[in-house]
Amino acid sequence: MYNVNEELKEKIINLNKLLLDKYREIFSLDGTTLRNFIQREIGEVKKINRLSQEELSHITKKGGLLGVDGSNNRVGGAYPHFVEIYQALAKSTIHANEPIYKTDFYSPLCPENENRDNLENPLEEDQSIRSKKLSTIEVEVALEGVRRFKPYAVIMDGSLIRYDIECYDRWQELREECEEKNIILIGVIKDIKTYIIGDLLVKNGLLSKRELFYDRELLYGLLEYGEIIEISAGVTKKAQEGFASLFMRSSKAPSVIGMDILDSQREYLEEMARLVLTLTPQDGRGVPLWIDIVDREVRITDQLIRGLLESYLDREILEKLFISERDKRTL
Amino acid sequence: MKVVGITTQQEVYVGSKERNFRINEFLIIEDPYQGDLIGEVVEAQSYNKYMPLSMHGELADSSVINSLKAIGYNIEEDTIYIAKIRLLNEALYPIESGSDVRIPSFEEVKDLMIRSSADEGLVLGIIKNTDQMAENMDEEYKDLLYTFEEGKLKKQRDIPYIFDIKSMHQYPHIGVFGGSGSGKSFGLRVILEELMELNIPTLVLDPHFEMDFSQISPYLPKEKAKDYKDRFKCLQVGHHVGVRFEDLSRSDIKNLLGASSPLTDAMSNVVDILFRGRESYNSFYNRLKMLAEAQEEGSLDRIQRRIDESANDLDREGWQKRKELFLNYDKTCPYSSVRGIIWRLTRLENEGIFSKDIRPIEEGLHMGKLIVVQGSTRILQVFSTYLLNNLYHKRRDYKDAQYKNTTAEYFPPFIVVTDEAHNFAPKGYEPPSKSILKEISQEGRKYGAFLILATQRPTLLDETITAQLNTKFIFRTVRASDIETIKEETDITVEEARRLPYLRTGDVFISEASLGRTIFARIRAANTTSPHRENPFDELRNKLMEDDNKFLQVIQDKLPINGDDFINVIKEIEKETGETYPITLFEEKLEDLVEKGLLKKKKTPFFNIYTK
Repeated sequence: MYNVNEELKEKIINLNKLLLDKYREIFSLDGTTLRNFIQREIGEVKKINRLSQEELSHITKKGGLLGVDGSNNRVGGAYPHFVEIYQALAKSTIHANEPIYKTDFYSPLCPENENRDNLENPLEEDQSIRSKKLSTIEVEVALEGVRRFKPYAVIMDGSLIRYDIECYDRWQELREECEEKNIILIGVIKDIKTYIIGDLLVKNGLLSKRELFYDRELLYGLLEYGEIIEISAGVTKKAQEGFASLFMRSSKAPSVIGMDILDSQREYLEEMARLVLTLTPQDGRGVPLWIDIVDREVRITDQLIRGLLESYLDREILEKLFISERDKRTL
Repeated sequence: MKVVGITTQQEVYVGSKERNFRINEFLIIEDPYQGDLIGEVVEAQSYNKYMPLSMHGELADSSVINSLKAIGYNIEEDTIYIAKIRLLNEALYPIESGSDVRIPSFEEVKDLMIRSSADEGLVLGIIKNTDQMAENMDEEYKDLLYTFEEGKLKKQRDIPYIFDIKSMHQYPHIGVFGGSGSGKSFGLRVILEELMELNIPTLVLDPHFEMDFSQISPYLPKEKAKDYKDRFKCLQVGHHVGVRFEDLSRSDIKNLLGASSPLTDAMSNVVDILFRGRESYNSFYNRLKMLAEAQEEGSLDRIQRRIDESANDLDREGWQKRKELFLNYDKTCPYSSVRGIIWRLTRLENEGIFSKDIRPIEEGLHMGKLIVVQGSTRILQVFSTYLLNNLYHKRRDYKDAQYKNTTAEYFPPFIVVTDEAHNFAPKGYEPPSKSILKEISQEGRKYGAFLILATQRPTLLDETITAQLNTKFIFRTVRASDIETIKEETDITVEEARRLPYLRTGDVFISEASLGRTIFARIRAANTTSPHRENPFDELRNKLMEDDNKFLQVIQDKLPINGDDFINVIKEIEKETGETYPITLFEEKLEDLVEKGLLKKKKTPFFNIYTK
C-alpha cells in the first residue's frame, strides 16, 4: 500500500472542485444549441464519407501520399546542460523503401551564431531555436520529398502555421513549390490548441465568465463520426496567414482533430478531410495510420541516443556536461 | 537471412525480411570465424511492428490497411520473420552476430538425415520440412513412398526417414507412444510392413485383431501396390495355436494359472506339490479332482466307508486312490486352494489353450515371416508369457551353445511387437508376462531378441522397460502425465514437448539414441489397411441398403403388387426362396421402399397398388 498524505488528497479534491466550478457552464451547454451556434458563427457542420477505391487509386496514379513527421530526443539535465537530437522523415506511400531522413542537434553549450534571434531571455531564445531546428528539417525533408516523388498530397504532422512562424523562409519555398506543382499540402493536428469557439461564445454573451475555453473542450463528443466543421475565414487568425482549416471527428473516439490546408488549395479541403477519414482506424485515437507509421519510423529510442552519445562523445565530455544527477538515481 | 541479437554457443536468433521460417527446418550459419555450422529451427515467429498486439489500444482495421494499399503502401511488406535456431553441435564460441544464414544442400545434411540405404533399412516416412534440401537428393532416395495429407495421397517431396535396423544391435528396443487417433497404430503397421519387406522374423501380439495385412490400401496407385499375403500369418490362440501341456514346466504352469490374477501362496504350493511335470492335462486334472473329492468327504473314516461300500472294483480302486492322495496331501493342500486351481485350470482348458501347440509360430519365424498372434488381452497375457519364455530361451540356448562351442538347434533372432504394451508390462504390479519382457529388454540385445512396444499410456509402462527403449516414436499426446513421462525418458526439447498435444495425426517425433537428437517426421501412407477401417455408421447404412436391395430383388418379378393380394405374393415368395413374411411386416417393408423412392404407390378406392 502507498501512504497517502492527507493534505495531498485534500488538494486534489479541491482541484476537482475548482475545475467543476469553472466548467459547470460549459458542461451544461446543450449540444444542439452549441451545434446551432457553430453552424451560425463558425462554419457549416457537414457529414463526409470515406474515399472509394476508385478515388484512392486516382490518388495513387497521381503520385500517392507523402507523410512528414519529426522527433526530438533530449539527453542531459537542466539548461544549458543538455543536447537535443532532431530527426525528420518524409515517407512516400509508393516509394516506401526510399525514406528521406534529415537530422540535426542542438545544445545551448554550442553557440551557433547564425540562428540567434537576439531575444533578451536566454531561455526563450533557447526554446525558439529548438522549435526552429525541428521545423526546419521537417520542411526540408518535405521539400526534398516533393521534388523527388512528386506526390499528390503531403501530410505534415501538426499545424502548418507552426512552420510559417518557426522557419518562414524554408516554408515559403515549400509552399511555392507545392502551389506551383499543384501538390496539396495539409497538416493534421492531433492536439488542437485553438480557442475560436470559446472566444466567440464569450463575445456573443452566451457565457457569463470571461474565461478562456479551448476548442477541444467544447468539441469533445459534439461531432458524430465523420462530421467536419469548416471554419469560415472570418473567425480564425490563420486565414490572415493564408491557411484554411477544419475540425473533424475522424474515429469513434469522441475527441476531435484539426486539419490545415493552404488557402490557395481550399477547394481540396473536403477531399483531404475524406482522405484523412479513410486512413484513420475507426476504433483508433483519430490519427491517420500513415502518420502513425511515419511517426513510428522517425522516433529514436532514448536508449539508442544514449548508446550513440556514449560511443562517439568523449567520456569526459559526456560525464561532465550531459549526465545529470537524475540519470544516476537508482532508487 | 542473418543472425541477429545476442547469441550463445548453442542457440541463435535469425531474422529475415523475405522468408518465413518453418519449424524443424535445417539451416547453415556461415560464421566468418568458425566456418559453417548447422542448426535446426526450434521456434518460428513473425512480427509486424505496425500491427502490434494491443488489447485496449487501436487496431488498424482492414479497411484502413486496404486503403493504404490502394494508395501504394502494403503494410504486410514490413513483416519480419524470426527463427530460433539450435545448433546440432555446440560451437566453440558464441556465433558472430550478423553472420549469413542459408539453406543447406542435400550433401551437407545427408549424413545427418540418412543412416541406411532404402533396401537395408525401414522406410518409414519423410523428415518434415526438408523439401528444399531434397531437390538435389540422390535418385535412390527419391520416390520411395507416398504420404497421406488432408485426405489425399501425396508424392514424396522431402528427404525420406529410413530407420537403420542394423542399429538395433546396439540400440535394441523401440517404444511407440501416442494417444488414440494419433496415428500410433498406423505407425506400427508401417513398421511391420517394412519388417516383412526385409523378411525379419517378427512376432506380433495383437489384442485388437487389427494387424491383418491382406487388404491392400485402395488409395495406392496399382503399380505401387505391394502384396504381403505370403509374408505374414494370423494365428488365434486356442484355435490355431496353444500350449502343449506335456511341455510345461512347473513354473510355466504357475505362470499360466497366475496370468490373469496372481496365485496365492497356498495355490502356488498346491501346484508345487501336485504337479509332476511332463504329464498330460488329464493326469494332472484327475489328481486335483480326486484330492478335492476326497477332501469333500471330510475324514478318513468316510473315505474308508466309500471303499467298503463300492459296488464294483473300478469304484473301489478309485476311492483307494483318493484315500492315498488324501493321506499324502490333505495336510499340505487346503481344500479351497485345490478348488481354486481346478477352477483356473478348467477355464484355460475351456478357452482351448491346451488343445494346440506353438509349432506354427516357430515354423513361421524360421521362415522369416511375421506371425500375428491374436486373442483377447487376457488370453494373450497368459499365452504370451509361455510363448515368449519358450522362444526366447530357444534363441538363448542356441546363442549360448555357440559361445560354449557346443551344438544346439538353430533358432533365428526375432522381434516382438505389441500394442497396448502397458497391459503386458505394467508399472506397479507383476503379471508373469512382465518378467519375460523385462528379461528381453535387459539382455535381449546379446541374443538378438528385440522389442517394439506401443502404448498410449507410457506412464503406465514399467519403468525399467521404458528405460531400455532406445528409440522412441512419439505421436500426439495430450495427457499431461504422459507428456511428463516422455520428457523424462527422451531427449525431446521443451519446445517439442509443448507441441506434442497439437501434432497432426501421423506426425511424429523420433528420438533415436544413435542420433542423439529428435527428428520430426511424418509416417508414410500404409500399403495395407486395417480390417476395422469401415466406419460403423457407414456399415449400418450399407447394411440397410443391402437389405433393401435384397428385398427389392425378391419382389422384382411380382410387381405390381395389389394391396389385397399380399397373401398370395407372400406364398409365392415362400415357395421360391423359403423365406416367409407376416403380412404386416411385408406391407411395412413395401411402404418403406416407397418412402425411399424405390417403389411407387398408387391409391385406388379399395387398396394400394405398388409398382416400380
